[in-house]
Amino acid sequence: MAKPVAPTSSRRPHRLTIVLAPWCPHCVPLSVTNGRRLAKRLRVPLRILDIDHRAQEKAADRLVRAYGDGAPDYLIPQVFLEWTDGTVEHLLTGFSEQVPRTARAWRDLFASDWLRSVVKAVPR
Amino acid sequence: MTRRGAIPPVLRRALAAPGGRCYRHCDRPIRTRRLASRLPGAWQVRACPSGVVSVTVYTEWTRRDPTKAVREELRRWTVPASLVRRWDLRLATRHGPELGRAAERFLAAQRPRRGVRVVYWRVYPFRGRDGKERRLFVCARTAHRSPVFFAALSSGPTPECPVCARRR
Repeated sequence: MAKPVAPTSSRRPHRLTIVLAPWCPHCVPLSVTNGRRLAKRLRVPLRILDIDHRAQEKAADRLVRAYGDGAPDYLIPQVFLEWTDGTVEHLLTGFSEQVPRTARAWRDLFASDWLRSVVKAVPR
Repeated sequence: MTRRGAIPPVLRRALAAPGGRCYRHCDRPIRTRRLASRLPGAWQVRACPSGVVSVTVYTEWTRRDPTKAVREELRRWTVPASLVRRWDLRLATRHGPELGRAAERFLAAQRPRRGVRVVYWRVYPFRGRDGKERRLFVCARTAHRSPVFFAALSSGPTPECPVCARRR
């Protein structure tokens, strides 16, 4: 299971990736908007992998199976932070209960100690 | 907390997801009902007043993936057991930062580290051989020891649970 990690002098956030589908209300616009915001705070590019897009689906499946919450028909959205040392951190999976619960998870992520420590260590 | 994997109150509060309405059925408010089981984690079934299940949620504080145990338990509760299909079970891991400050600090202080694993069981409406739409229902009457999940026509009066019907 992935655990929250903080940057060190040798590693920094490299890229934020969201695995999503355009028809999913937990994904669009909620997670795309928040993903852009998070990428900006981390000063990294945002990559979106659409599971309905054949070429992107394979990369999405690989990422989810290796680092995320894999299942035969896995949950979306799933959000990953890639680091410069090659590690990948799973940050968030949508809450299947309802969209407002996923929105709360994004708000909590922005207010988290983890994000504060990562942003503080990212060079300006 | 008595059992390994049980959800402490701080995490239970952080994971709560109250509210919601019965989607594309009756639009009445969803009720969340806890289910008892021999597994260490917590079960919740989110269903409308007629018993139409929106989603069934199993949550355990653990490093392992509980999907297999969840599937076995659900198969015991479901008539017929074949309604519990592998691809309807979806895993989610909650790490802490997305659960609010209290839960984040609680999880960060634990050694060894464990996250929260959640398994969702969602059965979408489907059509039977007669072409009519069926949905998943739950009967949680105390007349039987465990809940009973079953599929029935989504239109018309609230259907009777097959276990209750057998006992009459």
